[in-house]
Amino acid sequence: MSGGGRYRHLFTPLRIGSLTVRNRIVFSAHLTNYATQDGRPSEQHAAYYAARAAGGAGLIITEEHSTHPTDWPYEKLIHGFHEEVIAGYRRITEAVHAHDVPILAQINHNGGQASSMYTRLPVWAPSPVPDPLFREVPKAVEAHEIAEIVAGYARVAGHCIEGGFDGIELQCSHSSIVRGFLSPATNLRTDSYGGSLSNRARLLVEIVAAVREAIGPGPVLGVRLCGDELIAGGTTIDDAVEVACMAEATGHVDYINTSIGVATATLYMIEASMQIPPGYAMFIPSAIRQAVSLPVVGVGRFKDPLQADRALAEGQCDLVGVVRGQIADPDFAAKARSGHSEQIRTCLSCNQECVGRMGLNRWLGCIENPRTGRESVPVAVSAPARRRRVLIVGGGPAGLQAATTAAERGHQVTLLERQHRLGGQIPAAASVASRAELLDITRNLVAAVGRLGVDVRTGCEATAETVVALAPDVVVLATGARPVRPWWAGGAGDFPTVIDVRDVLEGASSPSGRVVVVDELGFHQATSVAELLADRGCQVEILTNAMVVGQDLGITLDLETWNVRAHAKGIGQATDLVPMGVGPADGGGVRLQLQHHPTGTDRHRDCDWIVVAGHQQPEDDLWHALTSSATEAPVYRIGDCLAPRRAHAAVVEGYRVAVAL
Amino acid sequence: MSAGLGQPVAIGARTAPSRVVFGPHVTNLAHGRALSARHIAYYTRRAAGGTGVIVTETASVTANDWPYERAPLAEQCRAGWREVARACAPWSTLVLAGIGHSGGQGSSAYSQEVMWAPSPVADVVTREPPAALDEKGIGGIVAAFGAAAALAMGCGLAGVEVDAGAWSLLRQFQSGLTNQRADRFGADRLLLTRMVLEEVRRRSGPGALVALRLSCDELAPWAGITPEQAAVTVAELSESGLVDMLTVVRGGPFSTSAYRPDAHAPESFNQELCASMRAAAGGRFPVVLQGSVVDADRAADAVEAGACDLVEMTRALIADARLPAKVRAGAAGRIRPCIRCNQACQVRDPRNPIVSCVVDPSSGYEATEPALAAAADTDTDPSDPSDPSDPSDPAPAAGSPVLVVGVGPADPAPAAGSPVLVIGAGPAGLECALTLAGGGRRVRLVERATRTGGALLQAAVGSGRDSLAGLVRWQSAEADRLGVSTELGVSADAALLDQARRDGWTVVLTTGARPLAGRYPGAAQPVLDPLAVLADPAALPDGPISVVDTVGDAVGVHLAEWLATVQGRSVTLICPDTVAGTQLSRTGDLADANGRLQRAGVDRRLRSLVRRIGADSVLIEDCWTAATSEVASSAVVDCGHRLPEDRLYVSAGDRTMLRAGDCVAPRSALEAVLEGRRTALRILGTDGPATERDPVAPATVTAAPA
Repeated sequence: MSGGGRYRHLFTPLRIGSLTVRNRIVFSAHLTNYATQDGRPSEQHAAYYAARAAGGAGLIITEEHSTHPTDWPYEKLIHGFHEEVIAGYRRITEAVHAHDVPILAQINHNGGQASSMYTRLPVWAPSPVPDPLFREVPKAVEAHEIAEIVAGYARVAGHCIEGGFDGIELQCSHSSIVRGFLSPATNLRTDSYGGSLSNRARLLVEIVAAVREAIGPGPVLGVRLCGDELIAGGTTIDDAVEVACMAEATGHVDYINTSIGVATATLYMIEASMQIPPGYAMFIPSAIRQAVSLPVVGVGRFKDPLQADRALAEGQCDLVGVVRGQIADPDFAAKARSGHSEQIRTCLSCNQECVGRMGLNRWLGCIENPRTGRESVPVAVSAPARRRRVLIVGGGPAGLQAATTAAERGHQVTLLERQHRLGGQIPAAASVASRAELLDITRNLVAAVGRLGVDVRTGCEATAETVVALAPDVVVLATGARPVRPWWAGGAGDFPTVIDVRDVLEGASSPSGRVVVVDELGFHQATSVAELLADRGCQVEILTNAMVVGQDLGITLDLETWNVRAHAKGIGQATDLVPMGVGPADGGGVRLQLQHHPTGTDRHRDCDWIVVAGHQQPEDDLWHALTSSATEAPVYRIGDCLAPRRAHAAVVEGYRVAVAL
Repeated sequence: MSAGLGQPVAIGARTAPSRVVFGPHVTNLAHGRALSARHIAYYTRRAAGGTGVIVTETASVTANDWPYERAPLAEQCRAGWREVARACAPWSTLVLAGIGHSGGQGSSAYSQEVMWAPSPVADVVTREPPAALDEKGIGGIVAAFGAAAALAMGCGLAGVEVDAGAWSLLRQFQSGLTNQRADRFGADRLLLTRMVLEEVRRRSGPGALVALRLSCDELAPWAGITPEQAAVTVAELSESGLVDMLTVVRGGPFSTSAYRPDAHAPESFNQELCASMRAAAGGRFPVVLQGSVVDADRAADAVEAGACDLVEMTRALIADARLPAKVRAGAAGRIRPCIRCNQACQVRDPRNPIVSCVVDPSSGYEATEPALAAAADTDTDPSDPSDPSDPSDPAPAAGSPVLVVGVGPADPAPAAGSPVLVIGAGPAGLECALTLAGGGRRVRLVERATRTGGALLQAAVGSGRDSLAGLVRWQSAEADRLGVSTELGVSADAALLDQARRDGWTVVLTTGARPLAGRYPGAAQPVLDPLAVLADPAALPDGPISVVDTVGDAVGVHLAEWLATVQGRSVTLICPDTVAGTQLSRTGDLADANGRLQRAGVDRRLRSLVRRIGADSVLIEDCWTAATSEVASSAVVDCGHRLPEDRLYVSAGDRTMLRAGDCVAPRSALEAVLEGRRTALRILGTDGPATERDPVAPATVTAAPA
């Protein structure tokens, strides 16, 4: 029996061991940082997974639970080895089972991919090879410690089953002591756990046997394997296929999950941003699926049900991991099944508030879903006491989110936008090829305001008079920000070729020849415009006062790929430079005076154009006009017109102001 | 001569039992945003050690000011403040609540709200623009400061300290760098500070101490607060009667790392600044010297010279919680020295590391590993009546957290239990030996080299690094004092081990680490170990030197700088990261270190891997683009990771043999000291209930009964 209309493969049930899933959409394991300070699962965990179960996911796999006290690489890791976790497990499994969705627990020991910061114990690994991220030399585990590791997996698996999970997944893929043993790059042992692949896989086989023994024949047991570590001397696909066969041969394993990369070396390929093409990791499940008869899960930037359905139809995998897609929209599966896939709040793969917050030890959120990470915090569910006439000025992400939420809550919403199109600064930012998927945030919101019947008036400049004339009950200002000419840039009349990033992206200026991009923000603005101009044939160099150009691209895992492209496009980079002024260059063009602040020396660049990625200033003239006029309606500011920040702040504030109405 | 430091001093209407101040600092000990039982134990240990004034970790006065995840929030500090006041009372330490607002230097990550500041000037570090406060918002903040002060006084604290230091809204209002307002708060940049102090004074009531932490130099003279302007501010405040104690600090938006720098900054760097502020204060209130004051004699000199009335010695008290007691007992030489490494005590880091100390790793873990702390606090002489931790003094009130302060692991009584042979006299072996000797064991410490100190002493060369030697020098002196029998130039082998065990000795291996030979097979030029180069730089061949640093800690960066500046060599630093010394972000030295390297003329080859070492060049490859280039080089210094020196352990074939430090896994001095002490406590049988296998999580302080 299948359903789902357009997505026949996606909504065909599948048997995995003793379990039957109603569709092929898996909410795969991923870090959330929702654990409590003392390593317990939280209410938020339960609410978070339950929301995806309610939204129709076929199978949920939780984030990892640590199997041993030597393993504590990041602060908010669930300490599965403490019996006290079981109560929290029950809370999670009951919440998910209430929606008739199975849930598995991922258990793991991160091995050498850790530090002793939290444990104050030596880190354990196959060999004393420090991890490229944590840089701590681990202790090479001895025979009795290997036995302790295996016993830890079995004990924690027992806790999980006692806590109501339908099975266990062993993370042996991108951050794991099992991966460490499997990989020739980190396993230099000469005993029976090192050398040949079967020796390197010995720990995995022992753990599989011990876990199956601990959980009994009923619960599902899966193994997640890395198909290509993307590091020198690491595991590649042939080894991975062979290990998958070994796992199957144990007779204890019910499915194989897959991944690519090593979390502490090549994370940008594990949680690929929009700069990596979708489907990039599907060669892994494809190869494994040809060698084993177990169901195989494929992962990697599935943001659209059609794409997932096609991967199944083409036989690349049996199940599809959709993680960020369901972080952005918990109802991904339900909307696809009911024929409303156009209503899915499509993930951008921007990585800004999900992946980007993980490395910073913050709770997982979403740039476009203000409820992600807050599922356990109750919202005022009842309809507002009175239907209000809400006037929103500005149709960027802040105004659109406020309009959406206010309309959803039953208010009568009018949205005024000065431009002839909605989206604020997003369409311009998304006009660069490598950032195109950013446009989904606007597309999703514009679709929502349309669906909800918001009275959208574009090309309509709001003044204090027009606001008063509309007689709203509430005014929400989301008027955005405008560029500021930096103090060092001289007058626009004197130096017309010193311009802002927005001038380029919005098409007001078309620099050519030698271009210097000044990066004062450290995010996508400068790198995007540099790439765009290099593509147009300009000779481009980016300068920054920071130690790294585009430093925050590291957080969204865009730094590596951007640098590869920048190198290919001949974009130069220089750091630690503070602009001090501009003047005419010898032989034409403009000279940018600089100070190299570590050495205090003067430098300069002669070029044809200077493009500044600098801080903007709030577009708050209307705020001042309204606060000094006799408007009786309350006036709120949200997003950039309060302080020019990133899109997430706009969405959060748009949502928050509307919920409070 | 440092004795004056241990004597009482008047502050306002109160008296502090000593002139030593434990300043407010980030600890990450909080549970949520409340002070935890770990906080209480941490502060109480310092009170018991004779500290005069403790300022608790700065609490935000408003909920939307949330600068780091574990930043205390005043309204959640009621139980914690009450408990600190109660727990410290037996030692008469004046406990002040640190209260503040970080303005535009905070974070929106936890609050998910905009930051508020005098003007929309983005912070240099976060680059996130704040929103400008309006009159109403300012009024709310003034009231919040007052409410926090009232709350603190209601908890029985001696007073509050208002933060106008390096990370504060009040400083942002005072500074031309961040205050561009056109209203009265721009015309009078001190106005908000005065309003806050007035409100705090009013709400905290009579008898409360109101202290102020004031940045007196933002090190940005073009628009920032200068010492001259600060002197005017101090004079004005001294007239106002609003302040009972002033702590002079430095730092602003461009110089937060200058507030509490590592050993690259000189000791007591604020002394001149403080003296001029004290002069400006005209004796109307005591003035506290802050800034890398770690030596008791120096601190006493500063008081004697009239530079200050009290001395903030926060890091010194993290390294030795009993510093004032030791000064008072005339045992200043026995103080565990802060080496200003900033490795474990500087914890403003998104990973929320717990405050601790390389020199005393029990700091921050008083509540979770009490035996570890007790072993460090063994100076107490119960016959000394002046020691406030004397059990005959009023005991901590019933119901206060259990503390094991001032109680040694055992009476230094007759040697009981087996004698112990410790092999290797680096920080791990020394710590193990002195802890055992302090616990009454007979200890024989053998060391292959001709001096004690291990790799740490070898690394302690040159400016900013030589202070590291202080740890092992202290350990060696303490081991001698406690009667450890140290034998230098003795290479332990299997025979020695067997003999010792046959004779009934317990053996501990602390044999350290060795370089990884052959990391670069086929190298056609010398590949040298950094410690060998520091010991004998003349052994380097002529020509340019490549320092290859795949670790990113202080070793490679320092060596490159030292070779360039002290040895006059042409140096290239090759590392895989986008900045050099990437791990120095913890110590606060990251940007400064990269600046020093550039000023020293070191060519930094970032994002680079070594692919081939030729006869006169090194071939490097970009980590991401795979572009290659050649670096001229006549020798390579390999600052990569080291291997455990575990050959003795392996040859002995006995996995129950005790080991500590680098010979388990080569790490930093902190792990060496920690494991050395833990191993000793295990032998002594006093390692306590909280085993290291079961790290105990922080518990919230529950509201104490009234």
